[in-house]
Amino acid sequence: MSPEIISSVVQTHLPVLMVIGLAIFFGTIGAKIFQWLKIPQVVGYIAIGVIVGRTGLGAIDDATIKSLLPFNFFALGIIGFMIGGELHRDVFRKYGRQFFTILFAEGIGAFVAVSILVGVIAMLLGQSPGVSVALGLVFGAISSATAPAATVSVLWEYKTRGVLTTAVFAIVALDDALALILFSVAASIAGKFVNPDSTGIIETLGHAGWELVGAVVLGVMAGFILNFVLRIVRDPEKSLAFIIGVMLLVIGSARVFGFDLILAAMTLGVVLSNLAPRRSRETFHVVERFAQPIYVLFFVIAGARLHIQGMHAWMWVLVIPYIIGRSAGKIIGANIGARLAGAAPVLRKYLGLCLFSQAGVAVGLSIIAGEKFGGDIGIAIITIIAATTFVAEIIGPPCVKLAVKAAGEIGLNVTEEDLVQTYTAGEMMNRTCPTFTENARLTDIFRTIAETDAMSYPVTDADGKLIGIITLEELKRSFSAEGLTDWLVAYDVMTPVPDTVTEQTGLAEAITRMREQELEYLPVVAGEEDAKLAGMLELRAVNRSISQEILRRQRLADG
Amino acid sequence: MKVSDYLTLEHVVLLTGTTKADVLDELVSTADDFSKNITIEELRQAIWEREKMMSTGIGQGLGIPHVRLPGLPDAAMAVGVSQAGIADYESLDNLPVHIIVLIAAPQGKHEIYIRLLAKVANVLKQDDIRKAIAEAGDPAEVYRILTEGKV
Repeated sequence: MSPEIISSVVQTHLPVLMVIGLAIFFGTIGAKIFQWLKIPQVVGYIAIGVIVGRTGLGAIDDATIKSLLPFNFFALGIIGFMIGGELHRDVFRKYGRQFFTILFAEGIGAFVAVSILVGVIAMLLGQSPGVSVALGLVFGAISSATAPAATVSVLWEYKTRGVLTTAVFAIVALDDALALILFSVAASIAGKFVNPDSTGIIETLGHAGWELVGAVVLGVMAGFILNFVLRIVRDPEKSLAFIIGVMLLVIGSARVFGFDLILAAMTLGVVLSNLAPRRSRETFHVVERFAQPIYVLFFVIAGARLHIQGMHAWMWVLVIPYIIGRSAGKIIGANIGARLAGAAPVLRKYLGLCLFSQAGVAVGLSIIAGEKFGGDIGIAIITIIAATTFVAEIIGPPCVKLAVKAAGEIGLNVTEEDLVQTYTAGEMMNRTCPTFTENARLTDIFRTIAETDAMSYPVTDADGKLIGIITLEELKRSFSAEGLTDWLVAYDVMTPVPDTVTEQTGLAEAITRMREQELEYLPVVAGEEDAKLAGMLELRAVNRSISQEILRRQRLADG
Repeated sequence: MKVSDYLTLEHVVLLTGTTKADVLDELVSTADDFSKNITIEELRQAIWEREKMMSTGIGQGLGIPHVRLPGLPDAAMAVGVSQAGIADYESLDNLPVHIIVLIAAPQGKHEIYIRLLAKVANVLKQDDIRKAIAEAGDPAEVYRILTEGKV
């Protein structure tokens, strides 16, 4: 089937639920492919969005995107909420001053670099000095925002933990506020350059204040209410309905009153996690599990929204200085900020790399600017930000991965369940466990048992094939058997093999099988059809190793 | 634990064979009523598999072949006496074997199995009992001495 036929089929108004289903299903497949290519999965969601969206097949058109907008707000709300959950009081106490210094430096860094570069290039492209300065200021202000969604998605995917991770959480969540303030100032100054009658700086600053202060007040109020409800409803599954309800109320109210949505949801998360640090941990887990499909939809739509065909050549030219200026400004700004604040070297080296992502806030601000300026300039702002957002969303996540990898923070935020998933039975088994041949005498068996601390011992035949197990539990009953030790052999006292796994069996499956059969051990054999003994998996030893590994990673992450 | 719980008079025989293979066959053939699920051939094979690992001739003229089989309902015994003695039994002390006690137990009853082995070994450790059994010449007398544990 040619692309034309496909698009004519898919363009015949698919029901919204169908679009959601397709987006989540194929978005997830796209993510798997990218994950397999070692590229963060969020890039896969966006790529699928581009393919099915306005640039590609056109299956998700303008009308559909508009009708899915509430899901976008929902996703942003959840992301804000989850980030809030990461920001505990002690993080602020320990790093507060450092983070704010870096935040200002990277935001202003991007603002200055983009303003100058875009302004100069615009002038070289033949725009009037006034329009060039206006474009520079507006793009500069928009460029200071960093989108949390894609950035945080990478941190979660790679289970990172450490000072860089904490800094990124705090900064991506807070620099929207900085962007809003910068934008309100820059937009009014720019307005004066383009149109001397436009609204004044005080009025636009007032708007920004309303957005930010309102968001914080809303989030705090909702946080106290939700905390109260969760104290009564303790069952995590039931409380999910309340959490989602309160979150949707916060998101809805923020939309109605024109407050900053992410900041409101984040404040809700901060209040909840600081009022009840222990109890709320489960709350955040429940939301995290619930949120996955909504994230997928969010990113697929982000990709679908891009319309490459609608861009003029000169707009493409401005994309380049914007991207370069923004990336360089963030890297240099973060570096200077980290130096000024005396922050850890990893922040100086790698933080800037984590701040390339750009999305909702930037697009939103570009639409406001587009309406304010109107005409060609208005369209240029909206289109250029859409294109740069696309580029930033594609290069942003891999850069975050690169940074956290270089900082050595990948895989440090793991639970025991996570860790168990990553091992095979072969990696955790004891290869040198004491083993008895079938004709070993009871006297020798007792001696070996006294010298070792295992709980169970495999018995093999002359070819090394596993034929039975001697457990201390069973053997205890033979201790009373006086006078037998000289002439009984391992074969007489062993019990049948209850179950076996191979070296390739996942540790998680092996542990499940041990629990189901109430076994303390599980012999590991060479293959499904090959009973040759490879080693023993002991639950006690496995638990010990896993706990030690978790402790090691936590120490590594927390310095 | 009593020997009489696991041994009946029909399973006590005076052996006529002179080799280990012959007398083990004689003994196994009395065990055809141990279980419906187990054939005599299966029992014989299991016993020889165990003998290959280490002879059950434990010295002092005693042989205690023993096996565990999944299909048995309960532990069971058979006893054979050879006045001539079986020279090729490969005893620990290299002496001929006169008294052979076959013990078969189900797979799951490890404790009964071990205790039965210990009980039989302890009774037959006594020189006078061993002597009386070897010289008895009558299955009923052998059965009495073994179950009562005295001469």
